[in-house]
Amino acid sequence: MNSTSEFVTSEFVTGNVSLADVLPQMILMPLIAFVSGLLMILMYRKIAARLQRRVGPPFFQPVYDIVKLYGKKTQISHGLIHDIGIVVAVGGYVAAVILLPIPGMDGIADKGGIITLSYVLMVPSLGLALGVGQCANPNGSIGISRALTAMLAYDIPFIIVVFGVATHYQSTSLVGMINYQQTHQWGIFEMPLLAAAGLFTLQGMMGKHPFEIYVAPAEIATGPMVEMSGKYMGGLFVMQSFQFYVASVLYASLFLGGGSNWFEFLLKIFFVVEIPIFISFLFPRYRTEDMVRIMWKWPVMIALIGIAFVM
Amino acid sequence: MTVLDDLLLFTALASVAIIALRRFASISKFSVVVYALATVLLIKMSALGYGGEPVYSSFTVNVLGQILQWRFDALSWFFALITLVSALLAAFFMSGAWGEKYCKEHSKEAYGLLQVALILNVLSMLVLLASGDLLSLFIGWELVSWASFMMMALNPDKLARKAAIKYIVYAMAGAMAFLMAIAMTYNMTGSLDYVQVMQGMAHLSNSQIALLVSLYVMGFGIKMGVIPFHLWQAAAYAETPGAGAVFMGAISARMGLYALLVVIVQIIGLTRVAAIEIPYTFLDMQNVLAWVGALTTIIPTYIALKQNDARHLLAWHGVGQGGYMLLGVMISDSIGTAGGIMHVFNHATYQAALFMTVTAVIYRTGTSNFSKLGGLVTQMPLTFMVMVVSIIGLAGIPPMNGFVSKWLIYRALLLDGQPLLFVAAVIGTLGTILSVYKLVHNTFLGQLRLEHQEVREAPLSMLIPMLGLAIIIFATGVMPGVVLDWVAAAQIAVGIAPVEHNLGGIELVQGGLDMIWVTGIMFYGFAVGAIIFYVLGGKSKHIHQYDNYAGGHFLTSKVRYHYSNHFYAGLMHMIGGWYRNVFIKLEHALVSLVSFMSQFSENFYRSSQPVMLVAVVVVLALYFVLGSSGGAEVSAGVSLGGFNQ
Repeated sequence: MNSTSEFVTSEFVTGNVSLADVLPQMILMPLIAFVSGLLMILMYRKIAARLQRRVGPPFFQPVYDIVKLYGKKTQISHGLIHDIGIVVAVGGYVAAVILLPIPGMDGIADKGGIITLSYVLMVPSLGLALGVGQCANPNGSIGISRALTAMLAYDIPFIIVVFGVATHYQSTSLVGMINYQQTHQWGIFEMPLLAAAGLFTLQGMMGKHPFEIYVAPAEIATGPMVEMSGKYMGGLFVMQSFQFYVASVLYASLFLGGGSNWFEFLLKIFFVVEIPIFISFLFPRYRTEDMVRIMWKWPVMIALIGIAFVM
Repeated sequence: MTVLDDLLLFTALASVAIIALRRFASISKFSVVVYALATVLLIKMSALGYGGEPVYSSFTVNVLGQILQWRFDALSWFFALITLVSALLAAFFMSGAWGEKYCKEHSKEAYGLLQVALILNVLSMLVLLASGDLLSLFIGWELVSWASFMMMALNPDKLARKAAIKYIVYAMAGAMAFLMAIAMTYNMTGSLDYVQVMQGMAHLSNSQIALLVSLYVMGFGIKMGVIPFHLWQAAAYAETPGAGAVFMGAISARMGLYALLVVIVQIIGLTRVAAIEIPYTFLDMQNVLAWVGALTTIIPTYIALKQNDARHLLAWHGVGQGGYMLLGVMISDSIGTAGGIMHVFNHATYQAALFMTVTAVIYRTGTSNFSKLGGLVTQMPLTFMVMVVSIIGLAGIPPMNGFVSKWLIYRALLLDGQPLLFVAAVIGTLGTILSVYKLVHNTFLGQLRLEHQEVREAPLSMLIPMLGLAIIIFATGVMPGVVLDWVAAAQIAVGIAPVEHNLGGIELVQGGLDMIWVTGIMFYGFAVGAIIFYVLGGKSKHIHQYDNYAGGHFLTSKVRYHYSNHFYAGLMHMIGGWYRNVFIKLEHALVSLVSFMSQFSENFYRSSQPVMLVAVVVVLALYFVLGSSGGAEVSAGVSLGGFNQ
């Protein structure tokens, strides 16, 4: 396997980027992410409905939801940190989507690379955690302690997968990895075990069934959302759409060769996000400690074997 | 007179002055001026930080044909800068309201002693950093150990005294290992001078090097608190009086890393260390040391996660972050070592800031116990802000400086192809994130207690150093090149290729890092988030903390409604069984063994049974006299027997 990997370089690494060149990208990339993310949420609800033999929501339902939440009359704030927490939660994902290369827009992606991106992805969780913390509601705090435990659970296999992929391509540059895959072969064929472990991790990262106990949307009183109303909830809704998008684009970039054109790109990311959605409605929930157990057992094991192959 | 002479002489005279003036009220202002002037003298040598020639002291001592000398190179300068700036900020921190309260609670004498302990620590560290040969290194080493002990023993609390005694026992064990290593080095190479020892090392065999490295690492490792010598540090630093803990937590244990860089990296050389294979394993000695570093990141970090006192939690993280430094240095390429050395600076900044915030909370509320705090963000917003900036640094999340040094270490592990070490380092980081959230949540977030409703923001004399550190943490995170310049010079000083860097970070063909852009994008993201939140959303209404959803209960000040006890219950349910206190049991076993042996020999010497003593002496004498001939008889008998067959 190792024979195929060669030195992945990227022309952008050494080149200087001017702000004027990337400003359109900085505006367009979050917009694309937002719209795709909303469509993914729609897809999530539609698939759920069809599996449960319902019709499902209309096409614009996610938009209606956001408009409704932002337009609510009662907006309860528990203090400045509560507000800033929501700002950071959304803003962290906006930053993350700019660091993710998409077709034709990858000017800034190389300033960070995959390690930086993995850590920028922790910023929204930290922001949300701070925001919920100020609400002074122990139910919210319990939810956050579970959410951070869940993060610990899925981030360990995720990091192993990232290490394996970066070792295989001998690079931390996402642009370089995508270029290599488009000229050679997709990562999923070169590293099937890591791809499998990555898919497992993706399920946890999206915070959906069976690993959704910390969000607990059905029992809102016991989760981090307990004190979130109006635009606070709306902010989390926006965040969720970014979350879907980031997870799927990251997976597509690491294993499915990114996208050489828009059609291919969108097809791939919607396909990627569809797999966890289907899985999520087939399983009940795991408790937090069971999530830790299963995440540290199977994906870690598969990913470590996968690393042994790429080394 | 060189600048180094000036610096050392000035600090020595200042120590004398502070000892003499310790009872006067103006001592706090005086000491701030002292550290500021010392820092100015150090900045006069700033050419060192950009690759200048070493500065020698004109003072030398001739002992038994060995010349003891003192000098500053780029590495010493880097460590001295951190030492002096930490001392300056700590002195500023305690010069105002905190010092007055300390005088009132203890005594003027106690406060004066704290000032004396601080200047003696600074002086001894400068002497250690300036050492130009192994003997002067050892002298500095001992001075630092006793100065630290003085600082720790200032707290009259029983727990603190016990921790201090424990520290000095460990420190003496380390010093003995170090002294033995020096004696053996002298025996093997015939010199104690760095250059001559370095040349002499080339002729030593691998087993000799292995022995020396083990002894040196034991000596330095005890100071750094690496596994398995990590038990002393956290309690000792946590129980040191507030402002002292700021200084100790920031830099004290890093002296071990300095000595390790000088002796193991510069003199012995990591290629020699890597050449030593450990029998029956795939590991070499360098791998073993890297694993010691990795385990030091994991185990103390997860011990920190279980702490219920802010000071102890931070002190345990101090132990854990030391592991990253060792790990980075042991990767031995230019990026990894740069990460390890840079982490010393980064750690000093955020650790000092964190200890300051916790001390400020203790100053205002009288406790650092998590179950007695909560909700202080509304009362102490600036302190909270400093803590958030520092914990982001400690957890290694962009855009603060801790991320850059950790990124360098991760990147080096990737380039080196070390998956398990990489995973270990990341497990440490994730544990840190969980643990620092517990710190900030249980102190500043959640419900404000009734008795804390009158608490005000920390006084200005404490806020200024805290805010200054927060700015440094952020600025060196955005522009790591400033620190990397010094780090690169320090790398040259210890004989490692300097890291290629620019102002924003690292340029690498296989994926680099540019923190200026990363920070810019992050703040752009936050700006977008703020627009979505504040412009598109409706107006929000601020409500009281009791006005929240409690499942039908009515909340009043009588109801304790703050989740802080057993914070990560789910996780602990899973990993709680893994805490087996192995090292504590090991320590107890060692203590029992030593006390058993001492009791045995004591009984032997004190017993008044002359017959038995005479009998023992006679037996030993007989063995001594007849030993050789008896052995000859036995061997003759054996050979005879063999002949007969």
